[in-house]
Amino acid sequence: MKKLLLFTFFICLIFDLFAQTNKGVRISGTFIGTPFSTFAERVEAESSVRFFYKKEDVDNLQVNLQASDTELRLVLDQIFANSGLTYTIDSSQRIWVSKGTKIVTDFPLDYFLVRERQELEVNASDTLGAFDKNKRFVIGKATDNPESSTATLRGVISSIESGSPMNGAIVLEKVNFTQVATDKDGRYQLKLPKGRHTIWIQNIGGFQEQRQIELRGDGVLNMSIAENVLSLDEVVVSSGALSNVNKLDMGVQSITIAEVKRLPAVMGEVDVLRGVLTMPGVNTVGEATTGFNVRGGAADQNLILYGNSTVFNPTHAFGFFSAFNADVVSGVELYKGSIPVNYGGRLSSVLQVDPKFGTKEKFSGSGGIGILTSRLGFEGPIGKKTNFAIGGRTTYSDWALKLLEDEADLKGSNIAFYDINANIQHQIDDKNILEFTSYFSKDDFQFDLDTTYSYQNLNLALGWKHYFNDQLEGKFTVGKDSYEFGIIGQDNPLNSFNFGFDVNQLFVRADFEYRKAENHIFKFGAHGIQYDINPGSNKPYGPESIVIEQQLSEEKANEISIYFGDEFTISEQFSVSYGGRYMLYQFLGPMTINQYVEGAPITESNVIGEETFGKGETIQTYHGPEFRVSGRYTLGNRSSVKFGFNTMRQNIHLLSNSSSISPTDSWKLSDSFIKPQIGGQGSVGYYQNFARNTLEFSTEVYYRYMNNLLDYRSGAKIVLNEDIEQDVLNSKGKAYGVELLLKKNTGLLKGSISYTYSRSLMKTSDEPSVEKINKGEYYSSNFDQPHHLVFVANYELSRRINTSLNLNYSTGRPITLPISKFDYAGSERVYFSERNAYRIPDYFRMDFSVNLEGNHKVNKPAHASWSFGVYNLLGRSNPYSVYYVPENGKLRGYQLSIFAKPIPFITYNFKF
Amino acid sequence: MRKTSTYLYVFLLLLASCREPFNPEIEPTDLKVLVVEGYLDTEGIPSILNLSYTRNIDADDDFQLIYPEGTVFLESESGAQFPLTSLGNGSFEFSEDIPEDQIYRLKIFLNDGSSYSSEQIQPIITPEIIDVGFERNENGVEVYLTTKGDQNADDFLWTFEEAYAFRPKIPTAYRYDPDRKTVVLATEEFRTDLCYREVSSSDLILETSSRFEDQYVFRQSILQIPRGDERLTVRYTIEISQKALDKNASEFWEVMRKNTDDLGSIFSPLPSNIGGNFVNDQDPSAPVVGYLSLGTVRQRRLWIDFRDVIPWGVAEVEDYFGCIAEGDTVEIPDYESAFKTGSYTPAIPIYCDTCYEPIGFRKAERRCTDCTLRGSNVKPDYWED
Repeated sequence: MKKLLLFTFFICLIFDLFAQTNKGVRISGTFIGTPFSTFAERVEAESSVRFFYKKEDVDNLQVNLQASDTELRLVLDQIFANSGLTYTIDSSQRIWVSKGTKIVTDFPLDYFLVRERQELEVNASDTLGAFDKNKRFVIGKATDNPESSTATLRGVISSIESGSPMNGAIVLEKVNFTQVATDKDGRYQLKLPKGRHTIWIQNIGGFQEQRQIELRGDGVLNMSIAENVLSLDEVVVSSGALSNVNKLDMGVQSITIAEVKRLPAVMGEVDVLRGVLTMPGVNTVGEATTGFNVRGGAADQNLILYGNSTVFNPTHAFGFFSAFNADVVSGVELYKGSIPVNYGGRLSSVLQVDPKFGTKEKFSGSGGIGILTSRLGFEGPIGKKTNFAIGGRTTYSDWALKLLEDEADLKGSNIAFYDINANIQHQIDDKNILEFTSYFSKDDFQFDLDTTYSYQNLNLALGWKHYFNDQLEGKFTVGKDSYEFGIIGQDNPLNSFNFGFDVNQLFVRADFEYRKAENHIFKFGAHGIQYDINPGSNKPYGPESIVIEQQLSEEKANEISIYFGDEFTISEQFSVSYGGRYMLYQFLGPMTINQYVEGAPITESNVIGEETFGKGETIQTYHGPEFRVSGRYTLGNRSSVKFGFNTMRQNIHLLSNSSSISPTDSWKLSDSFIKPQIGGQGSVGYYQNFARNTLEFSTEVYYRYMNNLLDYRSGAKIVLNEDIEQDVLNSKGKAYGVELLLKKNTGLLKGSISYTYSRSLMKTSDEPSVEKINKGEYYSSNFDQPHHLVFVANYELSRRINTSLNLNYSTGRPITLPISKFDYAGSERVYFSERNAYRIPDYFRMDFSVNLEGNHKVNKPAHASWSFGVYNLLGRSNPYSVYYVPENGKLRGYQLSIFAKPIPFITYNFKF
Repeated sequence: MRKTSTYLYVFLLLLASCREPFNPEIEPTDLKVLVVEGYLDTEGIPSILNLSYTRNIDADDDFQLIYPEGTVFLESESGAQFPLTSLGNGSFEFSEDIPEDQIYRLKIFLNDGSSYSSEQIQPIITPEIIDVGFERNENGVEVYLTTKGDQNADDFLWTFEEAYAFRPKIPTAYRYDPDRKTVVLATEEFRTDLCYREVSSSDLILETSSRFEDQYVFRQSILQIPRGDERLTVRYTIEISQKALDKNASEFWEVMRKNTDDLGSIFSPLPSNIGGNFVNDQDPSAPVVGYLSLGTVRQRRLWIDFRDVIPWGVAEVEDYFGCIAEGDTVEIPDYESAFKTGSYTPAIPIYCDTCYEPIGFRKAERRCTDCTLRGSNVKPDYWED
């Protein structure tokens, strides 16, 4: 294919060029610093075009652009602009590249001059709307820095439709071909000669936009552009989705709200956590559990962040619904492999849920009324510099539970919940942005008439972004996260009680990003958390109650971390990211703690005394480093190898004696006896794109170790236990696995197949303890499900009809089964097998849904769509748990399924 | 340009969760674990220690139980030995008055050569039950108990046994006498219209008295009898046993209670392996199930008569679904053909205007008239009318 053709003189008339362009050839991909020859090779591999050029002509030509299904001609225009080269495409799709002539070099300037004839002079502070392409914006003051011939243009690109920042849009100026891609906050920065320019903005999959500017000094140009006129769904592209092969991070999975909306829903709720569960390496132990397990880690080892706020309980209604209102979420990313250095505090993963701040364009409202839930939201600008988004949900799902109650021991059940999100963003000036996010949720439910459970989340965070200069930006955040639950028992007025638990944390963090030259990005910062936990209190409820008030002593601790990391591009092929965190944790008084016999198991009989600590006195200090290293080496254009190693520390533990997250699980801080969980993970991955980048394949292999995990001795009491250290067993864990993912992102048929083989094992550690589970050998953790397969397919029958199918298979989770029985106290009783020696039957589920859109006229006042489908199409009763009960003195085994029948749903949905 | 969206959910939601029988394939592990059950009375009142083995979970009722045999004695820290008398089938009787201020150990020597020792046991004298009573509430009748803990007795276990008198759906004073081939008035021995039924309960009720002011456990709920339940239709009795436990025993019973009651609901805790206070002398890591306690058992019996709970709507008893007396009269010549198989019995006598003897009977299924199918027509010996 690559033949050197000698064309010393080749005169190309630009009009011929247009006439001969084959409009069918379109290309996709990200090219950063790619030599032209490599680029040509790749285009040839993916299409029928052939390039003919002289090697020495293109030796110094690099391709820097991002194309998504873009016409080849436009791409070539960009590549050759100002390069002194020109090209023509003949009818056989041969592309002839030659050293330029006058005609060729002049062309782009002429081209732009045509546009400039209509320009008008406008001030940059005027409203920047969608159709501002013919105005001329004056940027900066000529009096600033007059000796410099260049000036810096900065700004934020946001979407007209959603107002959210646009990530990965290309901003370019075509004369000198200066260009940059926006970051995940939609920011860009260009250094240009002073004077008039035409600025082009190309969004992936969207239209090109342009702005005329007159650059007189440093200044800001913010732009709102249309995302994609054909899309009725909101399209949010997260940074992880850019390129399977080229991105530096491994083990990062992004999911867009649009993708989540395509998944068949349960009870019609668009659920971001359910989207997370389609990713390889992520699993859940039960159907009504949105607590999830990442790479063999426990559910409490996931750091769930809404903006910068930690959400302690990410579910409503004991797991039926996710706590996140999809209307106020702009995107979701899950880090399971190489966790970025700016995150810490949990062992397994970070789930970053990005909040929405609304649009600057116009005030609008949205709402929904459903049979199970309803919601209402507003967003828009307040003045010129402030925008907000607010949303709320509530439920009235009692009737659904009534259907459940006969079978699931939910008699007398009653469930109510609501949540509110309110986010505000204020642009003080072009260098300072304030952001406020808040989240509040409350759940109340009863399983029987006498007992009321409730829990609530509250998250508040205030952030200040500051751009110090072209290279350095910082973000400072303060916030408060709290979670509490309570149980009111009114079984008997005399014994009525009010039990409560809460966890509060105040945090402050400073995060900086410094771009040094082109090949280093430094990230550094500090993060402080002040924990305050009420581990449990029990009070009499009502005037007649004779319950004695009990209050466990509050737990307080401080945690300070500092971090530094560098993303270093060593060469075109090889990039590394390395860094570390150092965490200092202090468990503080006032508190009285037991002293135990040194070297003996921690039991009540080994208590030899007490030690009392005063307010603010340090009871126990833990500190240690965390390391993060990852690297990427590209092999040719379509494949790469990546590796990663990181270590993590976690100071807060979820005490739970059930296999799923239950609302009564409580959080516990590391103290003198319960040490911080420490773990590490090493992983290696191979990434390959096929078929014009339409197919992405990746495989990752990982191994993890975990120390100081908690398991519980037989008969452990978790609630209101003053000496919880006597009931927990220090345990070790290991997990390993291989994940395979094949994904098709474009075309009429989109979808993914992911298969994971993984193991997660635990063992009681060698420390002296009262009990060694399974005699101190390794045993399966509660979420050890070796095989897991998820298949998601989305087929666009037409622009208006879209179908999706979802298959989910996993090995049954481990369970401790009764294997023998005996008579005791007048009844048959069960004797259990070794811990987790058996498994419940395998899980398999198929869901199907169809979306019907209305017509796609842009100017229609309202768009309507129907979506209907069936959850658990095969009606398979996938057991959630297995148990034995004595009935009339005989033991009977039962399996409990949550959704044992196909569950059809219909959603009517309209936008205006 | 901003599009707002409103979602309107319309669900055809046939939501159903499901509970199905589960019969997993379990390796027939012949787990022969020794099980020790007992609460030995330290005041000389005869009390029983039972030894048995665990059996496979799939074992049927007619499984031939093999009981451990051997010798068992209690040994005090001063070295005194108090033997238990074997009653066969793994039962051993203890009837010694022993000092409560000593610490004891139970020794078991089995005929297969294995031996077992308990951990040290401190007898606990169980405080008296202060009161038992019942109260009507909107759900039926609640049986409660009041007691008070003390320095030695903090944790309590309550178990109970119930008995009640009941009548069949269609009571009758008559019976078919197959020898005389006629219907006669039933004598006391053949009575089928009033029976007694004893029910042993698997319920374990545990409470810690120090949770309450002055360790006063007031009106601890023992049992809830649902409205209309058959147990309160004639006369009912419940005998509640109160045992004081030490901390470890209380944990053992708590594990047993959890393993029995709490498994399988949505937030069920993980099952715990149950142990106890015995060790196999030859293999200390071998499992042994059972917790032996020493002390005294306090018992109180409560009687509830149907008059105490009037009005007590009677709920349908499952065994009597579809019970009716048939409309056609069985006349005297047809008695033999109608009643000799025993599946039908005479139910309602039919008289003529002038006669003293029935001229025929309306018949009903035996299950509807004969209470001895579900109980005994002999009063338990403790029964008080």
